Amino acid sequence: MSVIDIKGLHKSFGDLHILKGMDLTIETGQVVVIIGPSGSGKSTLLRCINFLESPDEGEIRVNGKLIDPKTSNLDKVRQHMGMVFQQFQLFPHKNVLHNITIGPVNVKGVSNKKAVATARELLKKVGLPDREKAWPSQLSGGQKQRVAIARALAMDPDIMLFDEVTSALDPELVNEVLQVMQDLAAGGMTMVIVTHEMGFAREMADQVVMMDDGLIVEQGTPEQIFDNPQEERTQAFLSQLF
Amino acid sequence: MAFFSFIQEYFWGFLMATRLTLLITAVSLVLAVIIGLLFAFLKISRNRAANLIADGYIGLTRGMPLIVQLMFLYFGISKLLVLSPFWAGTLALAFHSGGYVAEILRGAIQNIDSGQTEAARSLGMSRRKTMMLIVLPQAFRRALPPLGNQFIIGLKDSTLVAYLGVPELFSKAMTAAAANYRPFETYLMAGTYYLVLVIVFTWMVNKLEKRLTPDRQEATA
Repeated sequence: MSVIDIKGLHKSFGDLHILKGMDLTIETGQVVVIIGPSGSGKSTLLRCINFLESPDEGEIRVNGKLIDPKTSNLDKVRQHMGMVFQQFQLFPHKNVLHNITIGPVNVKGVSNKKAVATARELLKKVGLPDREKAWPSQLSGGQKQRVAIARALAMDPDIMLFDEVTSALDPELVNEVLQVMQDLAAGGMTMVIVTHEMGFAREMADQVVMMDDGLIVEQGTPEQIFDNPQEERTQAFLSQLF
Repeated sequence: MAFFSFIQEYFWGFLMATRLTLLITAVSLVLAVIIGLLFAFLKISRNRAANLIADGYIGLTRGMPLIVQLMFLYFGISKLLVLSPFWAGTLALAFHSGGYVAEILRGAIQNIDSGQTEAARSLGMSRRKTMMLIVLPQAFRRALPPLGNQFIIGLKDSTLVAYLGVPELFSKAMTAAAANYRPFETYLMAGTYYLVLVIVFTWMVNKLEKRLTPDRQEATA
């Protein structure tokens, strides 16, 4: 079954037409990696999926249900989607543990005790079991991003959206974050990843989606896209990178 | 009369009047924060009418001298509404400071990275919860230094209430100076009282700021 089903998605910011009729289906358990030049609409697509941006046109189905951004309860929709941002966006006035429990406790009404237990488990999972009392300002970028992943996971989402989550990291901190994502994928999590880490994309992706100018240029397995790209645009983009 | 005995004569009287000064200041500032927060919300609202109301309020309270607002509330509207000197003074101070507090809070709220709001919304938090749990606590921390400043101004502005006949510290000083013909000592003494109050107040605001930013304390430790 598809978790996300997008048809004819358009999004503009003023005169800037970013998404120009995107179609994309994301199946349960799939890892979809979106690549493409900057400005191609990758992040906008991701932000439309959880309705941080409201689509101008087109249909988005979540778990088979058509979502209307005007009438649907978007808070409810977002509860089922975790999102991780390039700039971490941990809450600086809350410690690590509280960053992770704040969602379940305040949104889902989970008891504090239960939320803390879950948070500790997640901190173990992301390799930070001893940092629960730390403040975000005391963490490295890689640690912040791992806490951000734990925070999103605490809501027990059906799908995780990653928006260039390693782009703001020092190179030596990238791997610890990718490792966590790899573990997640191995656990069967449905994931949509916007990234410039091509090695990671090749290794992890079930589907690679090449975007340019608001549309999908080409889509396929990592082998198809990286070893045997059919479209000139894809070839040009990849040749710039390698 | 030696300076020491002068102090002795007025020490308690001034101290009692200081209690009234503190009461006026405290009540007006609590009200100013409530009023300020309300108008800050109106100003950042996406409702045009709400924006206009906020702009009107802030423009009027900041645009006229406090003494005019005091006189207006006490004498000006006495046909409509009779306020005691205490309440006319305290309310005028509250409305006046409220305009400044509104702008301080609005600025602080709007300066919180929109990514914070997005992170909260992406967890499924409602607009309201995002404001209460994520944005406001951070905005308040950031607003504390300018708020502290505004509170100090409010404390000193409370002297103007003397012109409504409220027997607070400055009013006591004026009465005393008129009776003893020693304005130098009298106002020096009253000024010292205010100075001590401001010093204590500044200390308290600093203390509160430290308390509200435990992350910064540890991060720099």
